[in-house]
Amino acid sequence: MAGLELKAIQKSYGAVEVIKGVNLEISHGEFVVFVGPSGCGKSTLLRMIAGLEDISAGELWIAGKKCNHVEPRDRGIAMVFQSYALYPHMTVYENFGFGLKLAKTPKDVRDRKIRDAARILQMEHLLDRKPSQLSGGQRQRVAIGRAIVRQPEVFLFDEPLSNLDAALRVDMRMELANLHRDLGSTMIYVTHDQVEAMTLADKIVVLNGGVVQQVGSPIELYQRPENLFVAGFIGSPKMNFTEVTIDSINGGQVTVSGADIQPTELSADTTGLGEGDTVTLGTRPHDLLADASGNISGHVSLVERLGNETNVSLKLRSGATWLVVLDGDRELRHGQELQLGIEDQKAMIFDAAGQARHMA
Amino acid sequence: MANPTSRAYARRSTYPGWFFLPAAIIYGVLFLVPTFASLYFSLTRWSLFSSEFIGLTNFYQFFEEPFLVQGLVNTVIFAMITSGLKVVLGLLLAVLLTSRIALRGYLRSVVFFPVLVSTVGVGITFTVLMHPTQGAINVALELVGIDGPHWLTNPSLALYSVALVDVWKGVGLATVIYIAGLVAIPKDYYEAARIDGSTPTQSFFYITLPLSRPATVTVITLSFIGGLKTFDLIWAMTRGGPGFSSDTIASIIYKQYQAGFYGLSTAGNVVLFVLIALLVVPLTMYLNRREGHE
Repeated sequence: MAGLELKAIQKSYGAVEVIKGVNLEISHGEFVVFVGPSGCGKSTLLRMIAGLEDISAGELWIAGKKCNHVEPRDRGIAMVFQSYALYPHMTVYENFGFGLKLAKTPKDVRDRKIRDAARILQMEHLLDRKPSQLSGGQRQRVAIGRAIVRQPEVFLFDEPLSNLDAALRVDMRMELANLHRDLGSTMIYVTHDQVEAMTLADKIVVLNGGVVQQVGSPIELYQRPENLFVAGFIGSPKMNFTEVTIDSINGGQVTVSGADIQPTELSADTTGLGEGDTVTLGTRPHDLLADASGNISGHVSLVERLGNETNVSLKLRSGATWLVVLDGDRELRHGQELQLGIEDQKAMIFDAAGQARHMA
Repeated sequence: MANPTSRAYARRSTYPGWFFLPAAIIYGVLFLVPTFASLYFSLTRWSLFSSEFIGLTNFYQFFEEPFLVQGLVNTVIFAMITSGLKVVLGLLLAVLLTSRIALRGYLRSVVFFPVLVSTVGVGITFTVLMHPTQGAINVALELVGIDGPHWLTNPSLALYSVALVDVWKGVGLATVIYIAGLVAIPKDYYEAARIDGSTPTQSFFYITLPLSRPATVTVITLSFIGGLKTFDLIWAMTRGGPGFSSDTIASIIYKQYQAGFYGLSTAGNVVLFVLIALLVVPLTMYLNRREGHE
């Protein structure tokens, strides 16, 4: 069983701390995605798991074995690089088999494993080619094949799809999901693309500034983000935010209003909140409805008609711009006033510290 | 009206025809004319002021030169030793000088320094250093109880001694070429290899060596040609001696010039040109074919 445990893992380069005490448990067979903006430390964390970066402090356990000082080859991992890192002077066959050759695997066993991997990835006819003779998608598959051949307990992926075009990325995403289902191995995947994170992951780890912001299933992160950062990062298009003041509190109900919103009643955990406090209201673009009696109004600044839905940029009174996704095709003019309501109270309140106030 | 062919040419070419004229004249006067003139003079009895056509006599005479065969063998040995050692040492030094060591930039310039020194100066210096009794090298060897050889006066050693000095002088250029090749190899390959289970030694043989092939081709080609036409260091250190033991084709040609046999030595130059072409053209074709294949 190849689970992983990260205990207070830290990484510093001199005085600069890039990973600040990450605690994380990953069960066997889980597909875990590290997601976050550029420079958040997600790739560094992955490289520490791979053994390509030293661990400054804390403990890394892979399959019940402490691995802080274990060589990458002995960690039972395989890694797919963003650049693919295919050996350019070797054929696909040799790329697949390089690790096995170094491990002195008998030639017939090696050959069988290489051909098995090639069959899984439907690359049998490309085994004699050099990487330079392959397309981007094929190279990507070779990189994955090289990992499969080693039969690792843990697969590590470092932004593997970022060099592919949009259509191919969608295809490869599905292939990876199928691969995970078929192999049943633990997979850790780094990306800055939250759509990849949402579609692939059993569990998402959101990182920012070297700190884990939240760990949870994609839907949990979407529906119950723990703080402003996660709320803003997960979900496409991004959540809209505006500052509001608490007018009144009545048990689990709170009434807020602000420059952009008329008094609106919402459910929230009101512990520690008081009337007159300034909080942040967040609402997702899909949770806003065109409603003539709605509490929010603004002027249309941009309309994108996609047929099945209409994306509207709305300039609010405070000067903030919100994005609204309306169902169906709407014929709206630039400058037109639009009244909006929030669907089923699907708005979130974040306190002054940026923590979400969800109802328990 | 211009004909269609010249119009097609004008469309293809970036510059008008007259633009090439200055370069073409310089090329013709300084390169084409001397090349064909030397081919002609190699077929003459030539005294610088007059020449008389004598056919292939110079070539017959040149190949009758008693030590020419030894000169030919010496030339090839010299070229192989120097280019081989420059490849091996240049690569090893480049690996060292691209690793994380203190004063890396300074050390890189130090290894290149001998390349900048005059060859004759290096030759004279090493002649002194290699003196059998008073030279610093043998004095140092004596301190550790080794009886140093007669580097330049032993006929079976002189050529190799000069070759070592040539390697010392030229390895800096090979190192710089290799450094450029090594820093161009993406770090990802080494990381992927580490994960694949590669030890540092295996990474050297499976990643560094094959991926620095373009640099190897350049170093081999440059140093092999340099070795085949070597003259100045040989002349400064041994003058082809003792006897004719360290003579190369170039030093033999020079001796013919000194003796006033201009037509004969020009024929020697043609022989040297053909020898270089016969050895280097197939070599580079082979190396480049393999490189292209990869």
